[in-house]
Amino acid sequence: MAETVVEPKVEVSLGTPWNVVVHNDPVNLMSYVTMVFQRVFGYSKEKAQQHMLEVHYKGRSIVWTGTRERAEFYVQQLHGYLLLATLEKAE
Amino acid sequence: MLIRRLKENSIELTEIEPIEAELLRKVPSVCDTGGDSRAETRLFSSPADSSERQFLNDWDEYVRPGLRHLFLSARKTVEADLEKLLDRPGRLGRLIVPRAHGDAWLNTLNQARLILASKFDFSDEELSMHEVPKSFSRRDLVLLQINFYAAIQERIIDAME
Repeated sequence: MAETVVEPKVEVSLGTPWNVVVHNDPVNLMSYVTMVFQRVFGYSKEKAQQHMLEVHYKGRSIVWTGTRERAEFYVQQLHGYLLLATLEKAE
Repeated sequence: MLIRRLKENSIELTEIEPIEAELLRKVPSVCDTGGDSRAETRLFSSPADSSERQFLNDWDEYVRPGLRHLFLSARKTVEADLEKLLDRPGRLGRLIVPRAHGDAWLNTLNQARLILASKFDFSDEELSMHEVPKSFSRRDLVLLQINFYAAIQERIIDAME
């Protein structure tokens, strides 16, 4: 009879979440920024506009939070659209 | 100039005045930063603060060349489209842009506006000003150029929706 091997329980650490932050830029158009948020994150127009307005009035908006790898990917995408985007550790 | 969606697959720019045609043809050359550090810094902004040294190094080595290629490729697409701009003397111009090139146009117009704004160091206040200046210095004309490109971007976004 074959011995049953019990795999040790592996604890996967999800690690620190990371924020993708978009900063205000007087050149990028509000309609363009909204369109980019819809495209990159798949947000509804309403949600994309909320983030765009936050960027516009508060100077920055945390547009996404999650794994480091995904955050890097999104920052790269946003730079491709010429938005001012950075990643930072979520508090 | 009028900009509208033409059927499903193209965007039509019609009634292009000669001055508008000239400004459109300037877009690709405006996108050449000429090594201007302010323009380069804006096009290739930092993706994190200095504490992320390894990430920033990797970004410079692997991501930045890709972004440069993306921006250049968009510019070349616009340049090729502009070669088809029909504007005979005494007649208004017309240009058909494939809808698939819409992103390249938005990207290139954005590059042009960002580069002009950086090179001429326009303030937020100046960029949001919509008054027509009383006199036209070179700086005022550049601001008009930036706003002209912005208006085209807006219409292209509308046409792509």
